[in-house]
Amino acid sequence: MSALTFELKHTPDQRLDLSPLVPAKLAGLNRKEIEALAINTTREALTVGDAFKVKGKDAENIRFEGTDERCDKIGAGLAGGVILVDGDTGTLLGTKMKSGKIGVTGSAGMLTGASMSGGEISVNRDVGDQAAGVAFGETMGMKGGFISIGGDAGALLGERLRRGLIVVGGKAGDYAGARMIAGTLLLKQGAGRYAGYGNRRGSLIFLEKPKDILPTFSDSGVMEFDYLRILEKWLREQGLRIRFGARARRLMGDMAVLGKGEMLILV
Amino acid sequence: MPELKVKGVTIVETFAEAFPMVGTRVIITAPTLEWAMISARTMTGFATSVIACGAEGGIERTLSRKETPDGRPGVAVLLFTMNTDKLQTQLRNRVGQCVLTSPGSACFAGLEGEKKLKLGASLRFFGDGWQMSKVLGGRRYWRIPVMGGEFVCEDTTGLTKQAVGGGNLLVLGKSHEAVLAACTRAVKAMAEIPDVITPFPGGIVRSGSKVGSQYKGQIASTNDAYAPSLKGAVKSDLALNIEAVLEIVIDGLSADAISEAMHAGIHAIAKGGSREGVTHITAGNYGGNLGPHHFHLKEIVG
Repeated sequence: MSALTFELKHTPDQRLDLSPLVPAKLAGLNRKEIEALAINTTREALTVGDAFKVKGKDAENIRFEGTDERCDKIGAGLAGGVILVDGDTGTLLGTKMKSGKIGVTGSAGMLTGASMSGGEISVNRDVGDQAAGVAFGETMGMKGGFISIGGDAGALLGERLRRGLIVVGGKAGDYAGARMIAGTLLLKQGAGRYAGYGNRRGSLIFLEKPKDILPTFSDSGVMEFDYLRILEKWLREQGLRIRFGARARRLMGDMAVLGKGEMLILV
Repeated sequence: MPELKVKGVTIVETFAEAFPMVGTRVIITAPTLEWAMISARTMTGFATSVIACGAEGGIERTLSRKETPDGRPGVAVLLFTMNTDKLQTQLRNRVGQCVLTSPGSACFAGLEGEKKLKLGASLRFFGDGWQMSKVLGGRRYWRIPVMGGEFVCEDTTGLTKQAVGGGNLLVLGKSHEAVLAACTRAVKAMAEIPDVITPFPGGIVRSGSKVGSQYKGQIASTNDAYAPSLKGAVKSDLALNIEAVLEIVIDGLSADAISEAMHAGIHAIAKGGSREGVTHITAGNYGGNLGPHHFHLKEIVG
């Protein structure tokens, strides 16, 4: 069965809330019923058929084509199935998702994967601020799963992160891992200022020595971490070949809060 | 009916009687295979029989870097007991005292069981609050700070209630040397079979026991019917020319694995033929009423 495909007809002149277009809500609907579904917008009422050309049938396997940064909430609350986006996405991509996979060929907006609890998001290019951060009305950021970002991440990456792994191929903005509770950030090209601000038990792994380290992170020196070997091997199994070995400098912090978190800076 | 013989060695028409056990597998890794082996050997060192060791355990096989979660050389260890509670206690004590303490080691789940046993879930408390947990792909690993660096230990491992203990072969021969050589060969052949271990020293028991004793409180005593020095005094099962009997006990994660190991064992024993000095291969049972698993040698040899 071919993937259920939504091809954007023309550049939207208002923001589109695409949260109804997930497998659980589309299962069993025929094309006409899908085209008749309403999309929440900011100004004029709109149906799926107005904005998208709908093709294919397999609701477990959804594709978006030609989307741009006004297409919000793609894969929100996803609970199984696959969504592939050929294009950019707006805010709240995969927010509160529980399982399944989302892949984006372009960039994603703010709050990507905010408060998600499981599953996998991969964005080939950049993500906006507060990726894996706190969704509206939530007290914690991402609570599980895996986010892989090919390009750069905005500010407040992984804010209030509780569990899960985020890999950033490019640079992360200021306050990466701010107030994180636990979980792991792997930053290939460093971060802006105040990384790990308020970190309780989380891990920030830097492939390169960051320029700016908060004074409330305390040096424990260099040693071998078998965990890094497990992480490297697991990432390779996910198709991410990042070589980083097992030796790293460990800084513990943020000592201004609990102080049981860490920065692992690979040497 | 003619006697069944393999290369002149008589296969006695009998069966090995075995018992259900609960079993688990853990994977131990270390900076070198040598150190993974040291850790695994220590963990399974005093684990020959549930009679007095609390558990039966052994090394199943070595693992290449590709087969372990951390890409280091590893060893797969199997551990068996008669019930889940005992297995949990034995696992915690053995991993805690022998693997956690071993330089550079890490310990991972080796079995996907319907039920779980705590591994790092209990050993993490050694970290005294400094332990850290990391979840990767749905599996939780504990990082416990220790003097040698960090001990990484997976949260849980699986257990199986389909395990079988006490599969066995008894090897009779005209000299101790011949029987020992044949049994050594058999243990080596069985080591190639997955899901089984031979828990006794080098895989071989020289003191098979019978149930009970003339002494109060002694639950097992020498198997006099198979003790060659008592042939003249007791109702012996041995012909006069038998000088030694050795036994190989096999524990496995499934009955099929034990059958396969016994098959490999019988053929390895008989490889030297009767000329080597091995005369009979038989098996131990209690009449068939105690253990639900019966491994008939005649069926296994084919």
